[in-house]
Amino acid sequence: MSKDKVGFGYIWYRLRNIPTAYFAFWVILSICIVALLSGLHVPLSHYGYSQTTTDLLAAPSWDHPMGTDELGRDLFSRIVYGSQLSISIGVTTALIAFVIGTIYGAIAGFSGGKIDNVLMRGVDIAYALPDLLVMILIGVLIGRGTYGILISLGLVSWMGTARLVRAQFLQLQHEEFVEAARAAGQNSLLIVWKHLLPNAMGPIIVALTFTVPSAILSESTLSFIGLGLSPPACSWGTLASDGWRSLRGHPHLILFPSFFIFLTVLSFNFLGDGLRDALDPRTRLFNYGKVVQDPEEPVEKESPELVTKE
Amino acid sequence: MLGLIIKRILLAIPVLWIVASITFMLVRIVPGGPFEGDKALPPEIVANLKAKYHLDKPVHEQYLLYMERLVHGDLGLSYKYIGRTVNDILADAFPVSLQLGGAGLLLAICIGVPLGTIAAVRRGSGADFAAMFLSTAGISVPSFVIGALLIFTFGIWLKILPVALWESPRHMILPALTLAVSPAAYLARLTRASVLEILEKDWVRTARSKGLSTDKTVVKHVLRNALVPIATVLGPLTAILVTGSFVVEFMYAIPGMGRFFITAVGNRDYDLIMGTTLVFAVLLIVSNTIVDIVYVILDPRMQVT
Amino acid sequence: MNSKRKYFHRSLIAVLALFAAFSLTSCNVAKHGALPGTLRINIGTEPPGLDWEIETDSTSFDVVSNLMTGLTQYTPELTCAPGCAKSWDVLDGGRRYVFHIRDDIYWTDGKKLTAKDFEYAWKRLLNPASGAQYAYFLYPIVNAFEYNSKKITDPNLVGIKALDDYTFEVKLTKPAAYFIYLTAFCPCCPSRQDVIEKWGKRWTDPEHIVTNGPFMLKHWQHEYKIELEANPKYFEGRPKLDKISMFMVPEQATAFALYENDELDFVDNRSFSTPDVERCKDSPEFHNVPLLRNNYIGFNVTKPPFTDARVRRAVSKAIDRNVFPLILRRKERPTSSWIPKPLVGYSPTTGEQFDPEGARKLLAEAGFPDGKGFPPITMLYPNRDDVKTVVEELQDQMQKNLGISIGLQNQEWKVYLQTLHRDPPPMFRANWGADYPDPETFANLFTSFNGNNTTEWKDKKYDALVEQAGTEQNPEKRRKLYEEADHYLCNDQCVIAPTYLATQNAMVKPWVHGLKFNALDIQFYKEVSIDP
Repeated sequence: MSKDKVGFGYIWYRLRNIPTAYFAFWVILSICIVALLSGLHVPLSHYGYSQTTTDLLAAPSWDHPMGTDELGRDLFSRIVYGSQLSISIGVTTALIAFVIGTIYGAIAGFSGGKIDNVLMRGVDIAYALPDLLVMILIGVLIGRGTYGILISLGLVSWMGTARLVRAQFLQLQHEEFVEAARAAGQNSLLIVWKHLLPNAMGPIIVALTFTVPSAILSESTLSFIGLGLSPPACSWGTLASDGWRSLRGHPHLILFPSFFIFLTVLSFNFLGDGLRDALDPRTRLFNYGKVVQDPEEPVEKESPELVTKE
Repeated sequence: MLGLIIKRILLAIPVLWIVASITFMLVRIVPGGPFEGDKALPPEIVANLKAKYHLDKPVHEQYLLYMERLVHGDLGLSYKYIGRTVNDILADAFPVSLQLGGAGLLLAICIGVPLGTIAAVRRGSGADFAAMFLSTAGISVPSFVIGALLIFTFGIWLKILPVALWESPRHMILPALTLAVSPAAYLARLTRASVLEILEKDWVRTARSKGLSTDKTVVKHVLRNALVPIATVLGPLTAILVTGSFVVEFMYAIPGMGRFFITAVGNRDYDLIMGTTLVFAVLLIVSNTIVDIVYVILDPRMQVT
Repeated sequence: MNSKRKYFHRSLIAVLALFAAFSLTSCNVAKHGALPGTLRINIGTEPPGLDWEIETDSTSFDVVSNLMTGLTQYTPELTCAPGCAKSWDVLDGGRRYVFHIRDDIYWTDGKKLTAKDFEYAWKRLLNPASGAQYAYFLYPIVNAFEYNSKKITDPNLVGIKALDDYTFEVKLTKPAAYFIYLTAFCPCCPSRQDVIEKWGKRWTDPEHIVTNGPFMLKHWQHEYKIELEANPKYFEGRPKLDKISMFMVPEQATAFALYENDELDFVDNRSFSTPDVERCKDSPEFHNVPLLRNNYIGFNVTKPPFTDARVRRAVSKAIDRNVFPLILRRKERPTSSWIPKPLVGYSPTTGEQFDPEGARKLLAEAGFPDGKGFPPITMLYPNRDDVKTVVEELQDQMQKNLGISIGLQNQEWKVYLQTLHRDPPPMFRANWGADYPDPETFANLFTSFNGNNTTEWKDKKYDALVEQAGTEQNPEKRRKLYEEADHYLCNDQCVIAPTYLATQNAMVKPWVHGLKFNALDIQFYKEVSIDP
């Protein structure tokens, strides 16, 4: 398979030919830059985080493009500031879930039998334990701060990925190319890395991109149980959960934070999809129904007989 | 298959025992006790209360006492809802959540799977784009906002559906919809991804190139092979949905058991926390076992033990 | 207006168009959606139980207050009017109360109410086996504490006695001016020994419960709805309503939507989110009443820098209390005194007034000019949206007015309570709601023997003042004593910085008549009627 030859330049070339993914890439990059700059205390808004009692709950205007909150703070500044934590939490939690979940699921799915059974009962137990209690306990043990948040969210979000990877592996075990690799005496790790994982990637990427928003939103639950941020620090999750009751009176309080979560997640989805396609040379690229010309059309291999399982 | 079921039932016992034991320790380690109130009580009164619920005994005695009752199917007493047993509370609340969760699950599958399939087959089309947009919105907008939007639009503004409460089947529509949004979005994305994965497979390409119509290929061969990840996700999802959602039940004032997962922890209502956790664990084990059976039906070569 | 600006506004309008429908700023005016004879209200959550001697929860009392009548009952002005007792004598300088009970009161099962029902109920409240949390309310009674803490086992030694069927006698260890209010309190309502013993824990089920008040428990669907029905044999006459439906809608925004759709007849704080209050505050259906619930910033006087009274005073002086109604938007009443306004002992001049200059001076005297050298401190608060707003504002004010920066730490409710009771941090935010309309309920909180005093402040002078005020029978002298105590607490020692009083915000449909609000947040529905 030509997969071995895939290099960065090639991926980049293919990615640029998927407009949605290309656009998503730039959106994510700019959000990350904003988050990084605000983390380095670069003043991105002339209002900063000052409170006033004269401009409470102002609607969006030229002065305050996204309005102000109940303490007169500029919402735009708050969103810029909040991007820092929300992005890092969304991405890190997704990565933690990905790493733990994939390794755990791969071991279970590849080994099968008794090991699979025991490992999956472990997942059941981890699933069944009351999250809230676990998170309160972590809050008390580790204390507030980013580590507590990451550990809590990572601990409750890897199980789904593990189950998905395991199921994909169980199914793929019996595909011809795996059997062939086995018969050729390939090393197990190599089989997993080269054959199983790439073919299981689609659902895993979906799970990964869905962990991002759920981590961003659950972070607000964490601050509710005393594990999240100390005010006046804020995040998109806390902004959204603080603002939602104002839907009818001051919709800007919920509209803008939700929009940025949406934009981020949409970009991750597009990018994830694009990356998957760019990484997999078998895929022809689509662009609104039109086929994009591929620079090196992969050789169409002679397909084996149509396999249908009845 | 019978062997699988029997094996799982036997395995369920140690799993439940471990879950019960860990939770038992967790509730007692977490700071704040059931009688830590808004207004502090004189120590004499706290002593009386603890004696009443056997919380004055050493932890290992409490544990043995609890396990003994558990074996007899007695989940204990609520400290918060005085005079009600945990069995009573769950017997009242679980059927409600089961109905609502069942409806939500059905809705999620009926929306999510077709949406994802269409998006995959018509890849890159406007339909695909719209599906991506909708499912992203469904997962990134918090469910309380979706609930509030639905309540306002259909309840207050258009006045065609009840705002809240649990009186008639019509009252189920909005909460079931709110409940279904995020799993439907997830299922749609997952279906799309795994159908695409299968569509890339050589045998499908062959089938298509040999002139088999797309729709027929999809329904007959592809969807079936793509169902494994969907079934995987449906296992825990079923357990989560039928034991109730805190947000949805809270928003629509529905007397289900979802709220206890949060309020019982908030109240440190030890036995109720244990009860809800165990009910959830049982459902999780059952639905995951069913998922494993479904694997075998979908793809007989899969070896599940 | 320049064109760029115009363009900006136009595009903004386009963005907000989707949400325009939600921004309806006016409050819908009700048409006519009454259900004749039925009052539909929201009590928010499931009452943990209806066993009035055992319960402590305000939701339980919302229901019990309409099922039961005690020896006395509150008027809308919160004075004690005769209830089951037609009169009472205060004897032995306030140490003995004799209640004369009406002989025309029947329980809902037809049995006559007697003094024995009170004796049984009060002793049950004190019985350690009941595990009743409000037992300490009766501790002023002779031997009550000893019996409840198992120092004596014979209930007959307690100073509670039915002298005959219609005379009930209570002996106190010392005079207590506030004692009469306790007789109107739900846990002190009578109860029936035969019913409780027959049904055990299930005696409060609708089919077993026996009550004596204006309404009867008809139906109880857990976590959803309680229905009360008029008691035709109520001793003050059948109430005007036929039925009360009490829903348990926990989410404020949902409950308010039900009100707007004419599915609830009346909503109060439980069902009234702040954005809705803002939107509806000019409606003719809107009501606002201050509550006896004071919010304060407490200092742990054993932890530096708050060991120095000047630092505490500086902080209290640096708080601009007038911003609280602006940021909380529920018409809160700023207060600098601990004993709140309508109660005896209240004085508008008590407590530190906002004075940033004076505050900085005090802080400089204490060794921290312009906040320099001030140690890093953290303020503890429980999780609630409004509390978060308050502490964020205080953090900002301390920075602006004193130049000191305060860290904030929130904790989950029970963790917060445990921290406060075991190891109070240097500074914390807390509140206190009155149990009865007497300054004692507030003043007592900061005495050295009160378990809820989390400031670690133990002061003999304050203890003596409060104790003296509690036993004083002359109203004028009593008022002076409380005033002095409150001044000592909030000015001289400045152990706490009171901030604001919470208020009740309510909406009442035009077809509801006779609904009155009081500062204790207890609702009585026996005078209420609905337009047909």
